[in-house]
Amino acid sequence: MGPLVPQEIIGADWNFFIAFVVGIGFGFVLEQAGFSSSRKLAGMFYGYDTVVLKVFFTAAITAMLGLLFFSLFGWINLNLIYVNPTFLGSAIAGGVIMGAGFIIGGFCPGTSVCAAAIGKIDAMVFVGGIFLGIFIFAEGYPLLEDFYMSGSMGPIKVSDVLGISGGVMALLVIIAALVMFKLGELAEKKWPREEY
Amino acid sequence: MTIKNVIFIGLLLLGVVIAMVPENTTKPYKLTASQMLVEVQGAAEMVTADEVAHWLISKDPSLQLIDVRTPDEFQKYHLEGAINIPISVILKDDYRDYLDQGIKMNVLYSNGTLASHQAWMILRQLGFVNNYVMQGGLNYWFDTIMNPEEPSATSPNEEFAKYDFRKAASGVFGGGVDAALTPPTQTSADKPKVIRREKKKAPAGGC
Repeated sequence: MGPLVPQEIIGADWNFFIAFVVGIGFGFVLEQAGFSSSRKLAGMFYGYDTVVLKVFFTAAITAMLGLLFFSLFGWINLNLIYVNPTFLGSAIAGGVIMGAGFIIGGFCPGTSVCAAAIGKIDAMVFVGGIFLGIFIFAEGYPLLEDFYMSGSMGPIKVSDVLGISGGVMALLVIIAALVMFKLGELAEKKWPREEY
Repeated sequence: MTIKNVIFIGLLLLGVVIAMVPENTTKPYKLTASQMLVEVQGAAEMVTADEVAHWLISKDPSLQLIDVRTPDEFQKYHLEGAINIPISVILKDDYRDYLDQGIKMNVLYSNGTLASHQAWMILRQLGFVNNYVMQGGLNYWFDTIMNPEEPSATSPNEEFAKYDFRKAASGVFGGGVDAALTPPTQTSADKPKVIRREKKKAPAGGC
């Protein structure tokens, strides 16, 4: 039966309302988990707090297992799920810029809006920076276009490239995540901070 | 054992399960047995040889004839404009674009009706639409369109109209030449409607 929106079981009008509710929920969970603190986010890079890694990897694993099991039960058609097309060169460059901004600013785009909403001034500056960046990118797009479109690989999945099934890929991701969780805990013990 | 370890092991077990099971065991849109029974009994997938002849003569652009016989048989004789998709390879991805589409009206035919109907049932089970079967197949095509039999003098007028059309059609397809090319009105009226499928809009994603 699923996905609900592309199959128009849920109409396009409701789509935005549901996105709104999900967005509110996302922001609420971020704030509840303490992600509106830039010190907590920066802790990921210094090793004293790896909650960010755990939360986002747990979310990814939950969604991944959910989709695969739903597909197994015939509840969702994975062929209709949108897969973001890969542009290898620009994805790597974008990842580096995003990572740098993450350490320097202490927020990722979602948490910055969250923190701005509870009145943190540094987050408001960060959000202003996001819009400035969007403006510069949009105005400079003609210059960047060739690079932006380079390394186009279409909507591929890692499992397709490796030639393994989605299920085996999922198991590997889960194992990788559990190993990283353990490493994260070791890091927290090795570089502890009393207050942050 | 702490809660954390229980969750770890649980996730790992789920991962093992999903890695062991085959992918996509349940295809969406598959018709249930009772839905299939209703379709088969309704016989809405049947089109007559006269209808096919009329569409061929009027060069109906939505008509796509599909010959499900072997390539050898196809080489020897096939209807004008037909493509050959032998029933043995009907599930290959190469032919999917022809069989699963929302633009043309596919008419499957074989020598009789058996092979074309088998092919139609498989396609319908997969949820494909716009596929039809030419009633009686090529055998009936030769009996009626290529070598029409003159109705007896006491037959109703429609029989004569049909006969006139078939005689004219047989001229077009290489038989004897005679009569005007106007089909009896009732055959052209009930052309199956092509079910157009709207292209699904791909939702954009992002963080």
